[in-house]
Amino acid sequence: MIPQAVQDCWYPLAMAALTGPYPGRATQLLGQPIRVFRDAAGTIRVQGDAGADLPVILRFGHVWACPGTPQRDLFTIPEADHPGRRLVDCGVVRVKCSPLRAVENFLDIAHFPFVHTDILGAEPHTEVGRYEVHIREDTDEVWATKVRFHQPQAAMSAEGGIETEYMYRVPAPTAAVLYKTCPARPGDWDVIGIFVQPLTEELCDVWPWMALYDDVTPQAALIQFQQMIFLQDRSILENQIPRLLPLDPGMEIPTQADLTSVAYRRWLKRKGLTYGAQMVAA
Amino acid sequence: MKTGGRVTNWVANGLSRDVVAGVVVPGRWQGVDLAIWRSATGVLRAWKDRCPHRGMRLSHGFVRGEGLSCIYHGWTYGTDGRCRSIPAHPDLVPPAAIRAEALDCAEADGVIWVAGAGEAGPLPAVTGLVPLRSLALHALPGQIAAALPGLRLFPGGLRGVVVLGGIQTSLCLLLQELARGQTMIHALCGPQDDPVAVSRGLEDLRRSIEQGVAA
Repeated sequence: MIPQAVQDCWYPLAMAALTGPYPGRATQLLGQPIRVFRDAAGTIRVQGDAGADLPVILRFGHVWACPGTPQRDLFTIPEADHPGRRLVDCGVVRVKCSPLRAVENFLDIAHFPFVHTDILGAEPHTEVGRYEVHIREDTDEVWATKVRFHQPQAAMSAEGGIETEYMYRVPAPTAAVLYKTCPARPGDWDVIGIFVQPLTEELCDVWPWMALYDDVTPQAALIQFQQMIFLQDRSILENQIPRLLPLDPGMEIPTQADLTSVAYRRWLKRKGLTYGAQMVAA
Repeated sequence: MKTGGRVTNWVANGLSRDVVAGVVVPGRWQGVDLAIWRSATGVLRAWKDRCPHRGMRLSHGFVRGEGLSCIYHGWTYGTDGRCRSIPAHPDLVPPAAIRAEALDCAEADGVIWVAGAGEAGPLPAVTGLVPLRSLALHALPGQIAAALPGLRLFPGGLRGVVVLGGIQTSLCLLLQELARGQTMIHALCGPQDDPVAVSRGLEDLRRSIEQGVAA
């Protein structure tokens, strides 16, 4: 039985620009078959197996739907509307892991030197300094701020190693957004998100998305860079045991560098967002 | 493996010469996935294939000196299983409770053996034979035994004198059950047998068994 709190959330299902006429994209959401298509009037619609329409929102270039009764609007990313930014849909990466593990990995910086070697991190610059984590009461989101890390090539527009500052944000159980120092515009943030579609508890489609200040790099190169990063992450995510994200302490051992992950797991547990989670230590 | 009433917990997990210093490979013992690795000075270890930090398979990691490091965050474990460094916190001495979970492992006659911690009996003896090769089959141990009626069961696998690859050979097949109905054969043969002929004979055998399984 899928908890009501899980069913009442918004989930990404497709890129709006690539959504074609019926039969459109036949996919899965929370283990149920689902279809995303554009009807004769040009409206994007999402239907379950029985043909009933789900509530739909088009935002950040993606199609979002709620299989239950939405309790709130889908989150916003105000920075995405700032003039001068390039919005980049990065396609999709299918990963055989819990959607929650995919989000948690996105919040993690300590793996950069070992998984994204010489790109997002490199030995001996492995230290993760103290940063701040809190739950924003007004929006009920997990935030990590003042995260700093040394990076050899933080972005396509970066030349040489820089100290990058990050902020991380979990606005929905299967979505995460990061803000990072923008090499081209000091003082501004590049914004990168992952929108994770839970096909089942152990299978997900990850839709990376970016809102960058970068007028130079070709679109294909930006997407290629992001795809490379996510394929490196996939080699980790498909080899974690268990596939489900353990929410009870004891199964895995966090350290100070994992404060964001700890807050995310507690937040999921408190809200009953346990689809893709393991509750009892095996 | 239960063999004629005698029980041994030792399961062959490879040939010694295939796990050289500085490498880590996946293994499997009674349904448990393993990371088997050899340190720079030659110390061999068999651990559960799971880093206690975030559950990543240690068999995807890397060996440096006398330690095995997890590929996810670089947590490094010494040959005693204890975590000795956490790169995100270089100045931290990891608590003693953070450790990899070890199984027993031993080497004899060029074979790597693994057993549950502290519960192993004597090692199965394959003295007098020479290690040949390992190969995986899409078949269960019983199907392999049925295809080779000339071999008899012994603790660890099958052995006997058979004709294989056109020659008579003293053959020993150590059997290791893998996931998804696969079995790894670690083969040894007599010191005077032609290894190339026996090796080709094993490949013919694999084809005929897998065709039988598929049919």
